[in-house]
Amino acid sequence: MSLNYIIAMLLFTLGIYCLLFKRNLIKMIIGLQVMTNGLHLFLISLGYRTDGIAPILSSQMLAGNGAANFAALAVDPVPQALVLTSIVINICTMALALSLAIYAYRHYGTLNPFEIRRLRG
Amino acid sequence: MIFPHAPILAIVIPLFAAFLIPIISIIAKRFGAERMRGGWSPPWGINLSINGLNLLIALIIASIGSLVAIYSVVSMERDNGLDKYYTLLLLVIVGCMGVALTGDIFNLYVFFEIMSISAYALVAFRRNWGSIEAGIKYLIIGSLGTAFILLGIALAYGLVGSLNIADLTGKITEIGATQPLPVIIPLMLTLFIAGFGIKIAMVPMHAWLPDAYQAAPSAISALLAGATTAIGLYAMLRISYMLFGAVAIGTMFIILGLITMVAGGLMALVQQDLKRLLAYSGISQMGYVLLGVGFATAAGIQGGLFHLLNNAIYKVLLFMCAGAIIYRVGTSNMDKLGGLGKNMPITATLFIIGGLAISGVPPFNGFASKWMIYVAGIEAGQAITYASTAIAVIMSALTLAYFLKAINLIFLGQRPMHLREVKEAPPLMLFPMLILAVLCVVLGILPGLGIDLVQPAQSALGVI
Amino acid sequence: MAGMTVIVRTISRLLFPFIFLFGIYIIVHGHLTPGGGFQGGVILAASVIMLLLAYGIERAQAKVNVLQAELSESLGGLILVGLGLLGIVLGITFLKNVLPLGELGHIFSAGNLPVLNIGVSIKVAAGFLTIFYAMLRLQGGKE
Repeated sequence: MSLNYIIAMLLFTLGIYCLLFKRNLIKMIIGLQVMTNGLHLFLISLGYRTDGIAPILSSQMLAGNGAANFAALAVDPVPQALVLTSIVINICTMALALSLAIYAYRHYGTLNPFEIRRLRG
Repeated sequence: MIFPHAPILAIVIPLFAAFLIPIISIIAKRFGAERMRGGWSPPWGINLSINGLNLLIALIIASIGSLVAIYSVVSMERDNGLDKYYTLLLLVIVGCMGVALTGDIFNLYVFFEIMSISAYALVAFRRNWGSIEAGIKYLIIGSLGTAFILLGIALAYGLVGSLNIADLTGKITEIGATQPLPVIIPLMLTLFIAGFGIKIAMVPMHAWLPDAYQAAPSAISALLAGATTAIGLYAMLRISYMLFGAVAIGTMFIILGLITMVAGGLMALVQQDLKRLLAYSGISQMGYVLLGVGFATAAGIQGGLFHLLNNAIYKVLLFMCAGAIIYRVGTSNMDKLGGLGKNMPITATLFIIGGLAISGVPPFNGFASKWMIYVAGIEAGQAITYASTAIAVIMSALTLAYFLKAINLIFLGQRPMHLREVKEAPPLMLFPMLILAVLCVVLGILPGLGIDLVQPAQSALGVI
Repeated sequence: MAGMTVIVRTISRLLFPFIFLFGIYIIVHGHLTPGGGFQGGVILAASVIMLLLAYGIERAQAKVNVLQAELSESLGGLILVGLGLLGIVLGITFLKNVLPLGELGHIFSAGNLPVLNIGVSIKVAAGFLTIFYAMLRLQGGKE
């Protein structure tokens, strides 16, 4: 059982704990970020190949080993592209969440999500 | 020279696209299930895949998007910062169309996130205390959902090695045929249903919906109720059928649908605010769709998808009527309204049409789709389907009860003094509502039209 | 905002052009070395935000003010989508290569990629700046 996967799931669990049990909006947003970082670590570790090389094709690589050999040696680049996209999406979510937290502080005077509960019914 | 009129392009171009969709569907029917390539053939490339189910959902999104855009020209005219509003509205429509038409599971996640983030920002658009609170709730719960979906996609990629939905279906069926299913597949199914279930507000995960629909501007409530709920349901159906196939998960959908339907309907009985009542009844209607799809027979799935189409039509109509009332009166608390039938006759008629349609009264479209679901339940022949059909009929009667209460409180009865001068809603606001009401009546009198639309969708899901 | 101590202010004023240049290097060589549009855009934005933290709002606004940031954000997005649509108009598919492919390893090669990188980086950098200005309650158009 590779160490990467254990740590990734540990981060995911810690992030969910933070999101559910902390009483401050900023800490909840940090928990969301820790959770998605764990997910990204999980995704990248899925593509890892033991003793692999970086998936950058250069002219020396083509001349020396050939394209098929390169594909057999290189680490999988697809999860890396997925993680890049996901990081960008998370930045947008976090920017929106922080702006909403600023507005909430202005309206309610507190950042405790258990007190931001005037809508009921 | 075109700059003073340039903002109208933001409405005209999606409108143009909405009317282009039937032409695309005719061409696609000629060529069967058609895949548009991006220069790389699947499964290495990302491609769009068009079949009956996609076209139905894309048609719903395009029509509702353009009608909501026309409606919000009037209903948002008292707000400022409108340029950002239209950008976000278009991004929601882009996200929905992307989810509906793509054939690649990570592309689906990216467009789903585009749609969700724009929806979070639009719910919090008015920046008063209610909108901010509703926006925060929606954002936190929604982000948890999309994190679950990403974990499911990561597990799928690790299991199979491909991201194309058709490819994933083929390879998972292969794995399932030769050996017992690995334990990871029920985990993936749970993650996907939890993630998409948050979007369609299935009952354990519905906590964000009443606040979000109450606090958002009315045009956005209409868009969320019609478009994003349909997209969440489409994604959940597609991914669940990809992993498991119809018969095995039907019982689970029936139970989830029953709980959603009953909880939504009962909560709606005690509401005083019009938009919260409509929100809870929306949750209840989604329960009907899940019930219909859970029956796992051809008639059941057709009934469920037809009910999805009808739900989009009359829910958007009801939210637009609520928006018209708020635009003219300023409040949506039903205790403070009354006797508006004399002042706003057209809005009252349209609201009554929508209310009767959602309760399943005969000449309207709700009756046709609910009848199909009841017949499918009885024909399916097992004890649980009989019981669920009985509960569905009772809940339908309850729906009629709270809508009659709403109509009575708002439009009939004594009119308070301060509401004497309320005028009818402006004609540009009435125009989309009229189109939707006409669709309600037409689909009710000629349900064959709706079933023609739904038939290719049902065969695309791969059931008998 | 008052700004920070003399040491921080001097170093950030000296470092700002180098960080900006480093960001441009990562963008332009995006098809040859690790990096590319998004990463370079973040570095560009980080350099202006460093000035904002060290000096206060006025100095940062003298470099890139709010209106310029909002305009460049839309321009960057339009470059990206426009180049993709050009692919539809000239060829068959969205984002197909329309510029000449060069040889492996040269800067002026790889078809669409350098222009896409530049478009993405402008949008990302301007987007981050707009977010920071908005959080500090500066608005471009009406409130």
